[in-house]
Amino acid sequence: MEPKAHIGENAELYAVGTLDARERAAVETHVSECSECRRRLGEAEETVLALERDVRVDPLAFAVAAPLRLHRREVPAWWLPVAAAAALIVGMALPSLFAQRESPTLAMIHSHFNHAQFSGSNAPPAKVIYARDRSWYYVIVEGSHRYGVYGVGNGRSVEIGSTQPKGESSELFVRDGLPFDRVELRDGVRVIEAAMIR
Amino acid sequence: MRDASLEDGFARRDAVAYEAAYRSFGARMHATAFRLLRDREGAHECVHDVFLHLWRHRSGYVRARGSLEAFLVTCVRNAALTQLRSGNRRLKMISKLETAEEYVMEEDPIERERIARALAQLSEGQADVVERAYYGGMTLSEVATELSIPIGTVKGRLSSALRALRRSLIPETSDGT
Repeated sequence: MEPKAHIGENAELYAVGTLDARERAAVETHVSECSECRRRLGEAEETVLALERDVRVDPLAFAVAAPLRLHRREVPAWWLPVAAAAALIVGMALPSLFAQRESPTLAMIHSHFNHAQFSGSNAPPAKVIYARDRSWYYVIVEGSHRYGVYGVGNGRSVEIGSTQPKGESSELFVRDGLPFDRVELRDGVRVIEAAMIR
Repeated sequence: MRDASLEDGFARRDAVAYEAAYRSFGARMHATAFRLLRDREGAHECVHDVFLHLWRHRSGYVRARGSLEAFLVTCVRNAALTQLRSGNRRLKMISKLETAEEYVMEEDPIERERIARALAQLSEGQADVVERAYYGGMTLSEVATELSIPIGTVKGRLSSALRALRRSLIPETSDGT
């Protein structure tokens, strides 16, 4: 038996991307039981796909450049306290490296820079912008929570500093950093997300 | 041309089918995400996150819904828009600033012309909401505010516009595919 209240125009609104998570979930639940709305939603999705075809893509080049990883490697829990202790020791040995703080905007104007997004499960949106010569790092996290920022490179983990609330975000800008391979955000000793520095 | 075995495998949560779907449709998904995020790396992450999410949870995809490619493109579009809307303004601003020079995509002139013709057939009211909600990634309330019309009108125009675009862009086939 199919549910009575159909999704109607929400089919098209879903496909365009104008529904919030709760509304999308309601649509998904409904179409799992209603063939009529499933067909309407499928038609709307096909229309969106048709609108996306004005750009040429190269499937092979993309898949080779960024292979799919369905099973991301988890960091073993026992490693975290060890890493935190190591980071603390290394950080204490390098107290002057990250003392200088100035405007990230000026740094971006005066140098070439890259950026990387942090990834982690249930973690806030965050990214690190960094000079191509690795002379500075600028970490921005959504929300006002303070996070520890650690740089990992050459087998060492170094505490760079901690983000400071600034409006809707929490930020850290540091100069004279080391050439890290990875920057981690930590809440206490727990690594909540990391960004690869390329 | 749809691949029934691939689509059924994806619906069954078959890892090989997921890999094949990624190889076949990942580039299209990336283009969709990149168009919205203006950030190549962010778009890569977005595509991966969609596959991971679908892999870890029930994808909800069945062949009767439509093509797997259309399903995945809609998923990544929703994911990218959610990311844009949840990130703070500073993140968005910096992301666009730093990647603006890289925002180059190879156009398909034939498809572009077809889409332009279909868009030109929309009423002015429909075109206004499509431009803002679809191409601009604006929320319904943002569109309503900008155009000074009720949100219900925005919904109605967007829905009717998409159905009109379907009639222009997708020829009817006997088997519905």
